[in-house]
Amino acid sequence: MLSKKSILDANSLSLEDIKLILSNADSFLEISRRDVKKVPTLRGKTVINLFFEPSTRTRTSFEIAAKRLSADIINFSPLDSSLKKGESIIDTIKTILSMKVDLIVIRHSDSGTVRMVDGFVNIPVINAGDGKHQHPTQALLDLYTIKKRFGKFEGLKAAIVGDFLNSRVARSNMNLFEKMGMDVTVVSPTMFLPEDFSGMKVKHCIDDVIEDADIIYILRMQFERQDRKFYPSVMEYNRFLGLDMERLKRMKPGSIVMHPGPVNRGIEITDEVMDTSGKLAEKIVIEEQVTFGVAVRMAILYLILG
Amino acid sequence: MNKNERKNVLVKSGRIIDPEKGKEFISDIYIKEGILAEMRENIKAKGKELTEIDAKGCIVCPGFVDMHVHLRDPGFEDEETIESGALSAVKGGITTVACMPNTNPPIDSESMVKYILEKSQRAACKVLPVAAMTRGLKGTDITDMGLLAEAGAVGFSDDGRCISDSRLMYEVMRYSTQFGLPLVLHEEDCYVSGGGLVNEGCYSAMLGLDGISSLSDDVIIARDIILAGRSRAKIHITHVSTRGGVEMIKKAREGGLDITCDVTPHHLFFNDSYLASFNTNLKVKPPIRSEEDRLALIEGVKGGVIDAIASDHAPHLDTEKNTTFRLAEFGTIGLETLFSAAFSKLCREEKISLLKLISLITTSPAKILGIDAGKIEVGKTANIAVIDTEAEEEIKREDFVSKSKNSAFIGQKLWGKVICTISGGELVYINK
Amino acid sequence: MIEKAHILNEDDIDRVVRRISHEILERNKGPESLVFIGIQKRGVPLADRIAKNIEKFEGTEIKAGKLDITFYRDDIGHNIKPNARITDISFDIEGKNVILVDDVLYTGRTVRAALDAIIDFGRPRSIQLVVLIDRGHRELPIRADYVGKNLPTSITESVEVKLKETDGLDRVTVVEKG
Repeated sequence: MLSKKSILDANSLSLEDIKLILSNADSFLEISRRDVKKVPTLRGKTVINLFFEPSTRTRTSFEIAAKRLSADIINFSPLDSSLKKGESIIDTIKTILSMKVDLIVIRHSDSGTVRMVDGFVNIPVINAGDGKHQHPTQALLDLYTIKKRFGKFEGLKAAIVGDFLNSRVARSNMNLFEKMGMDVTVVSPTMFLPEDFSGMKVKHCIDDVIEDADIIYILRMQFERQDRKFYPSVMEYNRFLGLDMERLKRMKPGSIVMHPGPVNRGIEITDEVMDTSGKLAEKIVIEEQVTFGVAVRMAILYLILG
Repeated sequence: MNKNERKNVLVKSGRIIDPEKGKEFISDIYIKEGILAEMRENIKAKGKELTEIDAKGCIVCPGFVDMHVHLRDPGFEDEETIESGALSAVKGGITTVACMPNTNPPIDSESMVKYILEKSQRAACKVLPVAAMTRGLKGTDITDMGLLAEAGAVGFSDDGRCISDSRLMYEVMRYSTQFGLPLVLHEEDCYVSGGGLVNEGCYSAMLGLDGISSLSDDVIIARDIILAGRSRAKIHITHVSTRGGVEMIKKAREGGLDITCDVTPHHLFFNDSYLASFNTNLKVKPPIRSEEDRLALIEGVKGGVIDAIASDHAPHLDTEKNTTFRLAEFGTIGLETLFSAAFSKLCREEKISLLKLISLITTSPAKILGIDAGKIEVGKTANIAVIDTEAEEEIKREDFVSKSKNSAFIGQKLWGKVICTISGGELVYINK
Repeated sequence: MIEKAHILNEDDIDRVVRRISHEILERNKGPESLVFIGIQKRGVPLADRIAKNIEKFEGTEIKAGKLDITFYRDDIGHNIKPNARITDISFDIEGKNVILVDDVLYTGRTVRAALDAIIDFGRPRSIQLVVLIDRGHRELPIRADYVGKNLPTSITESVEVKLKETDGLDRVTVVEKG
């Protein structure tokens, strides 16, 4: 069992909890490979997917995970409901609680909202991404992916490439990677770094890490977002931070490329790399991350509700 | 003169001024196929196609580096082009210029940087591009600074304009630290300067001209010093014009900040009393300021606060200057008078050493831009200016080589005449 | 825990396994259509031993798989759960006679969970249950087809099975839960 009922952020996960989740994920991976992808473990439990921010991948991943465990899962997206009419978050939560649900999976665009909700309810809460703050289940599935590929964490060199400052994935991943003994370097231009980054290993160009890293973790880059307005252009991004074939070829044997998805083709990764086949394609584990994501989320739901 | 005659030159008996080594000595210089082959006394060189220059009584220094020049190319070719600007430069003994990006289109893209560098290959002197900090110099979107640096920009500037969004300025500074290039900052608070035309002071009041207070420079210099301290960017304050500016830069440097600055010859030469003539050639930005400010700049040079002298060569058509003071464009040309104006004021009048002056227009600006220039080195391509410091002449409009003739120094008598200039190993200018 | 009685030793277990192997063959009229599934954790080595015996007797390959029933338990939420072990049933059970093997039959809940799991893998022709020890106290209508030894016990007692593959030695003892 997990030491805490809720999963709010990556840095408060204990080493034991992390190991428990990862070891259980193996069993759930096996279930996903069967013909009948269902076990009755969480039959009769009700889970709410409370997504205030749109998401297809994470929401679907939790949905599949819950259903494979025979739990009932309801998708509640306040975009298309009374929240638009001005119902406050707390009222929404109260409504949900009165329906006697067993667990809330929540994603919100404001950092810290998940903690606020957790303080308000007495059922478990799982953070599916709050603003720029944390995305702990993503970090866990990323760890699991690394475990399946390398069998260990200690001493592995990971480079997190992209907008570090505004990325909840980057934050959660850095927490967990370092906790498990990995050596993390952030590759980011100054506008995407905190003012004082003296406590982190930082580089500004992907070429500085590409030949040395075991894991190149590419973050999403969306130029339309307001907080990205200081970055000059896509061309500048391609030149200093983008993953193209030339850089892929220089990566060391056994190294992998990860991405939380969906990939903005032509921005952080070129079409050529995304469509490549053969030996080099084995380096790109993006699809595996999604598969493992269901298994890890099944393990999490099981360990919290089981 | 054919190519060989230009590339094989014997400069005899000049007084070599080498600011890098801090030495002055009499010597001959033999330039063979463009390379400074020998430097010693009594060189006996022979050759059918050899040009001899008699430099007796003259000084021989490294070709000058003017780090703030507007060449108006592309977009305003009537005023100046890279070719005409280079010819104007070598007449002033200048062999390297850094040109500002407020052209049309501006130098805010890789292709524009390459355009300048390409034209530089065929120009009489070396022309190095300073790229824009923001797109179109609009002060809202940062340029592809990484790509521009890789393409060959020697620095970044929005000169002519000033970024008023402090957050943006800060992000520009932070980003610039990734590339190690200096930010050449034109410090002007547009809200303070408003529609001002001259220095705000008793003269502006007397002449009935709207003033630009020295606050305009000082407020932004103060801001940028704070931002540079936090971001650790390399900043260069260009055309310093105020006492306050000099004081703040001095203090900041003592505090360990990587900050440099330059002044123009016209700011060292004139004060705002000269504006009584309503001479539009004295209408410049930042404006010619009070005598108190001018003296502070002189002290700044003497005390080592001022690192370089740069002309801020700003060509304008007659039509743009021959109009009411309010409507006239800001700016004066300055390539051809860079040395003579600075020499006349600083050396002859203020008794600053020649070695010091030469360093302010050779080794020091070269160091700020991180370029290999401003030196006299045996075995390297020759860049030399030969100057008769005893010659005095009146500055006349007709004598200018620049396409534009808007010089603040017309009518002034200046000392120091360039005898010849060797740029990129070739004799590109010789005074007939 | 106090050891109360020594029930089976290595030789005893060996004889029991051999006898059961023959019984299975007799009842199913041969080895065709037989597949073995051992319940984690000690049902697994037992299933392997029986399957190997039959392979030796009949000269045909017998498939054996492993089943972990953690996710099918009916006491979810009531107990601290151990880590799930691996489930590996890489063969088709459709139309086969599945021989389900466990070490101890007690309340019958483990076997009920195993039946649910097996049905998720396909539709066998039959499921037959082998247990090493039947200790009584059924709470569900479950019975074994093949029993190593019937061992009436009290609820305060616990049957401890040790096998070479999992514990380093073969032994069955009854202990008093202390």
